[in-house]
Amino acid sequence: MSPAVRTGISAGLLAVVVVLLFGNLSGVVLGLLAGAGAAILLDSRVEWPNRNAAIVGGATAGAVAGLLILVGQFIHDLFLMPLAGQPVATAPGSTLQAGLIAVVLAALAGAAVGAIVTQAERPRQLGLLGLLVAFVILFPFLDQQIQLGWTPTVISVLIYVVLALGLNIVVGYAGLLDLGYAAFFAIGAYTTGLLLSPQIGINWDHPLSFWLVIWIAAAVAGLFGLILGAPTLPLRGDYLAIVTLGFGEIVPIVFRNLTRVEIKEPFTGTCLIGCDKAINLTGGEAGINPISHPWLPLVGQFRTGQDLPWYFLIVAIIALTIFLISRLRNSRLGRAWTAMREDELAASSMGIDIVRTKLLAFAMGATFSGFGGAFFASYISAIFPGVFDFSVSVIILCMVILGGLGNITGVILGGLIIMMSDRLFLPQLATLVKNILNTSVLPTIADPAMKDFVATSVDPSQFRLLLFGLTLVIMMLVRPEGLIPNVRRRAEFHEAEAGAEATVATEAKAPAK
Amino acid sequence: MSAQVPSIPSNGSVNGNVLLEAKGVTKRFGGLVAVNNVDFTITQGQIASVIGPNGAGKTTFFNMITGIYTPTEGTLTFNGSSIAGLKPNQITAAGIGRTFQNIRLFANMTALENVLVGMHTRLKAGLAPILLQTPAVVHEEVRARERALQLLDYVGLGRRIAPAAARNLSYGDQRRLEVARALATEPKLLLLDEPTAGMNPLETAGMTTFIRRLRDELGLTILLIEHDMLVVMGISDRVSVLDHGTKIAEGTPREVQSSPQVIEAYLGQGGAEEKLAQMKERSHARTA
Repeated sequence: MSPAVRTGISAGLLAVVVVLLFGNLSGVVLGLLAGAGAAILLDSRVEWPNRNAAIVGGATAGAVAGLLILVGQFIHDLFLMPLAGQPVATAPGSTLQAGLIAVVLAALAGAAVGAIVTQAERPRQLGLLGLLVAFVILFPFLDQQIQLGWTPTVISVLIYVVLALGLNIVVGYAGLLDLGYAAFFAIGAYTTGLLLSPQIGINWDHPLSFWLVIWIAAAVAGLFGLILGAPTLPLRGDYLAIVTLGFGEIVPIVFRNLTRVEIKEPFTGTCLIGCDKAINLTGGEAGINPISHPWLPLVGQFRTGQDLPWYFLIVAIIALTIFLISRLRNSRLGRAWTAMREDELAASSMGIDIVRTKLLAFAMGATFSGFGGAFFASYISAIFPGVFDFSVSVIILCMVILGGLGNITGVILGGLIIMMSDRLFLPQLATLVKNILNTSVLPTIADPAMKDFVATSVDPSQFRLLLFGLTLVIMMLVRPEGLIPNVRRRAEFHEAEAGAEATVATEAKAPAK
Repeated sequence: MSAQVPSIPSNGSVNGNVLLEAKGVTKRFGGLVAVNNVDFTITQGQIASVIGPNGAGKTTFFNMITGIYTPTEGTLTFNGSSIAGLKPNQITAAGIGRTFQNIRLFANMTALENVLVGMHTRLKAGLAPILLQTPAVVHEEVRARERALQLLDYVGLGRRIAPAAARNLSYGDQRRLEVARALATEPKLLLLDEPTAGMNPLETAGMTTFIRRLRDELGLTILLIEHDMLVVMGISDRVSVLDHGTKIAEGTPREVQSSPQVIEAYLGQGGAEEKLAQMKERSHARTA
């Protein structure tokens, strides 16, 4: 079996899982992704003799992946749907049609990638980036066209990607294990909530501009990054993790309890703030609601339910985040983070101020979660303390670890995989399994107790955390460095060989003396 | 001086000025006195060595100079100002660079990045200019990279090694990279902690020549800890001997070699005469 076919099959199998869940025209989106993915995977395994070979190889891999999607589409439409008690909505002809579209798109995507990866370094990068940008821009329209309805979920997934990118600075670059990162997300969201709602008496008819508040939220979150980072400075490893865990718990509790704020002068007891009536700052358990939406010329007011503006806003935030973080990464400050992670004592002896470097990492990480928090508050239009609990911190940390510590592409991929599974695929699987149980399995069980047991225990959404844990355990055993561990992997590999040769050469020379 | 020698800004001092002065320096760890009341001076342009048996307090002494430990008692003056109690990064900024006994490179960073980290205190770029990527920052970064490559060349690694991860370099190359990284901090005084440890005789000879070149070409003042007597006796202007935390002898290599206390510290009482003869023989053999 040629490598093209093999990579096509592996990419196709991943795509088929999704197609089996969603059916219909989901194969179109998955076809594009699987085709391009297969071709990129193939490129990392094969040295191309010339461009045509790469195009043919990419197209082959894409087509194979597309064919698997076609098969998946038939299984979904002709087998799973009747089993789940839903009438076959589409005739076999249209299933075939959808499948063939997927095959063609996958092959085209594969060929396009094949044509791009054989270019020189610069056009290669620009080309791949262009493909990605085109897909990201077209996705919501495609989604609308084929009535998949993924966009709202993708938006909330992308919020988490922003958070993961921010946490990656702290954990991935600077090597500081932060288990309370959701605290900064909460601080960003609450800052936005307070400034964009009537909660603290800001005129609802003339709310502040979201475009101003998002920067304030980021700055406030960054400031709290400094404040909460400062006490952790002398701590390392486990102890740092425990203290950050504590902060992660404290912050939501504080927001839950800031419902009756009054400040008295300590000696005379004169009231300073909240005299007539104690100020309800955060709304307690009920949270802050409503929070106003952004406004843009041409687009007008962003509305709940109108996904396009929100989608492009969060994509823009991610683009900005990546842009800024990669600048930091390749600067004097980014190198200081990495050096500190590698060896704190040596870094300090090379002139790096450990205190400033650590604080900057906390502050920058928190700043980006401030962006995420501001978007979240405005998008959901309401915030509650319960949203920012420990599980959020853990999920974000999982995203960073799964994708590959310290690698932007890896973190984004890890984030998409974890959150898409959690928010999109698992619920859909749960619905599908439930439908199948109700129509095809439960009626065949006579014993009512047994029936009850099966109905309650076979529910994939209950296994959410179990699946999470399993993924992490397997990941740590099989590939602890993450999905995409290191950009310089290839170069290092070659240098390792060269280095080994050099060592051998020196050793061979030595006795001759 | 060859064209490829990277320039290290001169501090304007003339050879012969005292660069580092330690007076009555003591370090106690609880009840243990690791370094006891040591006086030490090194003048501009010297190569000085600190020798002594294992556990004599040499590395502790180094760690006090570089700010990893604060002296319990005594004063440390570098280039006219006190450095006792400063943090390691402040001391590096003041102009003392170092290497480590057990190589402490940033193993997963490339050779180039290791050297660039060494330049940290000499680069100015702040947070906002980096995020905005101002022309000044871009320019500084380009210059820093060019200089880092020059340093890799200078220590004999060559530019081709730049993208290699530090951990993939051979042992000798890692030692050289550590020196390049220390040079990147633009030191006036360079502290080398056992620079030839674990090297074969060929590599050791290369390193010895190289240390002399650092002094002659870059005008550096160099302080070594070294176990290899051939290296110490071959390149040092002055040798100080520590034993049980106390300085027991100091002087030119020849003076120190013939000091009875030193021989006793190294070899114990008795057999000293015999060993001394051997040592002399070996060192003559090398000079010949």
